[in-house]
Amino acid sequence: METKMPMVLDIISENIIKHGNPLALKGSEVASWAKELDLPVKGELLFYTGGEYQLLPFIDSLVKTITHLDQGSKMFSMMMGARNILNKTGINAEKMYASVLAKDKVRYNSVCLKAAKVLQGLGYEFCYAGNEELYSGALLYELGYLEDMKTYVQKVVEVIRKSGAKTIVCLSPHAAEVFKFVYPKMVEGFDFEIVTYVDLIWQRRDKLAKIQSTGPVVIHDSCRLARELGIHQELRDILESVGADVKEAPRNREWTSCCGGPIKILFPELSHVIGARRVNELKESGAEHILTSCPYCLSALEGGRAKGDSAIIEDLIEFLYRGVKA
Amino acid sequence: MTVDLRKDFVAYAKDLNKASEDTNIRTAITRAVSSYRSTVAETLERYPHTPELAEEVKEIKRNAIANNDELVKQAMASVERNKGKAFFAKDHHAALEIALGIIGRGKTVVKGKSMLGEELHLREYLEENGNEVWETDLGEFILQLRKDRPMHIVSPSIHVPREQVAEVFSKFFGKEVPPDIAEEVKVVREFMREKYFTADVGMSGANVVAADTGAMVIIENEGNVRLSTGAPPVHIVMVGTEKIVPAFQDAMKVAEVTWRYAQYGVPGYVNIISGPSKTGDIEKVTTYGAHGPKEFYVIFVDNGRSDMAKEEKFSQALHCLRCGGCMYECPIFQVTAGHFGHVYMGGIGAIWTAFASGGMEKAAPLVYSCLRCGRCVERCPMSIEVPAMVGELRERIVYGKY
Repeated sequence: METKMPMVLDIISENIIKHGNPLALKGSEVASWAKELDLPVKGELLFYTGGEYQLLPFIDSLVKTITHLDQGSKMFSMMMGARNILNKTGINAEKMYASVLAKDKVRYNSVCLKAAKVLQGLGYEFCYAGNEELYSGALLYELGYLEDMKTYVQKVVEVIRKSGAKTIVCLSPHAAEVFKFVYPKMVEGFDFEIVTYVDLIWQRRDKLAKIQSTGPVVIHDSCRLARELGIHQELRDILESVGADVKEAPRNREWTSCCGGPIKILFPELSHVIGARRVNELKESGAEHILTSCPYCLSALEGGRAKGDSAIIEDLIEFLYRGVKA
Repeated sequence: MTVDLRKDFVAYAKDLNKASEDTNIRTAITRAVSSYRSTVAETLERYPHTPELAEEVKEIKRNAIANNDELVKQAMASVERNKGKAFFAKDHHAALEIALGIIGRGKTVVKGKSMLGEELHLREYLEENGNEVWETDLGEFILQLRKDRPMHIVSPSIHVPREQVAEVFSKFFGKEVPPDIAEEVKVVREFMREKYFTADVGMSGANVVAADTGAMVIIENEGNVRLSTGAPPVHIVMVGTEKIVPAFQDAMKVAEVTWRYAQYGVPGYVNIISGPSKTGDIEKVTTYGAHGPKEFYVIFVDNGRSDMAKEEKFSQALHCLRCGGCMYECPIFQVTAGHFGHVYMGGIGAIWTAFASGGMEKAAPLVYSCLRCGRCVERCPMSIEVPAMVGELRERIVYGKY
């Protein structure tokens, strides 16, 4: 039997398979943040972004396209703007991508740079695959494209192996999850040590500089990090080390409420409702400064914040970077 | 063959969006979620042995599902030994036909709440075949009058506020019923009382069945199950085969864990029924139909359950006790209620939809609206890995492997 899935799923899965990125971003775009650092391509520790923070500003523009058009319509398929249909439709993906707010692009791209600088500040040395880095394929796993993933991950592993690294540090918990639990089942001899950015910071948290915070902060535990990877106390320890006043939301740690991100591409409005509810729940802690450590949580919570709401939503990386600058 | 799911997804997204804007749903669920969380926390503190008991029940259920075929045979033999009549229905149609065969036409039936009944569309079927059927659970009765469907498995009419109840009751009873909950409860009590004692048949489900004794354990609070299974001359139990556990004591453990996570310290009533009513008070001669039903029937329904049991990845879905706890913790359910469902609701409902109630095409949009956030697993006393099963179903949907 053949199944016709919503087009957005076809496009995203094909983008990953053909272009190594859910939105078919070019390697040079994904790696542009790293220019100034001149990171080596080989080393013991591989810094892995998976292009996930870098694609966040484009996800919103994609979602807007989905929200405003009937997904079954011809217009929709034309407007998807992904590169893999560029030749057929003549619609210029670059133009759609160009419509993304410059400040969002700068912000999300800089998360990777900030992460690298925070780690370097703690004395970590690492390599980075640059233009060659490929997306982990977490969405293929998430959305059910497992057969395609089996083929795809071989390419990812090839790039990873070139680095000669023994340990991979992931910025996104989704990448860490698939490297840890899915790759070993699909790739023979996939015996890399998988750590998250949070793990590495936690190990050397005593070296972090104190951060002059404007007020109390509240942690939005990412589902993957808290439940799949069991990381939640570490976030609190890190924040305590930098002198932050941490408040707790009514639902936190392994009981954390999802940000709504996972259904963003298929059910954008509902995803938004859930994100907005989570923002409010987090604010019940008494803190207006929300910190998370997952790209999709960051994007979904930003999207869920009501217009005019003064709450600050940041990635833990962005918060810790304040200490680097100081 | 090509199955085009695109339109289904669009329609379903619209339905979810509409539900998320429904203030009745939002108010009711917000209230229900906060009450559920505080009550469960309280009762778990009062009965701290519960999580450990849940661990024991996990093992009981795991073994019971692994030996389900054998347990069905044992349970049927026990029912027969108790002078009841036991039936096995392979599928949906067989189950309905057996029930209709016992009931016939032109009868009055009072029934208790049952998710299996919903799965089979039992009331509608009996009505189409010329019977008068009354849902005796207050929530179900409200839905019956509204021609509506349940929005939660334990609290089916959770989305209907008192004002709307008053409206539908006033119309049905042909008199002004004020939007006062006590009044609303009273008017149904009076109406239903007459039905219990004039009905030809009482029907119920069961929360647990003990194979060794043939005991049906039915948990309730309203007392409607006591009356509908006690007053009419015939009692028919329709129960899913996954509800069977080996022994009576196992059944007690399953029952306690079920009600505890359904937010009850102890429910108002626990009915244990294992055969027709009988007496030996005159000359020690056993005579059936003393005060309760003279006839007792049990229909064990498979309808996709043995297919689930056979699959290593899905058999744990049969461990579900239907306490409803996961739904209260589900971020999607919290804003859309039973709209995130077909007959069965929430993430676990998506799995049940695929196997027992609607099939893969009906399940597909539900399967993709699950966040796979995993909070249901934290809440579930059986730690059912819904996200993993959802992942597996997605793969089958994408590649048409069903």
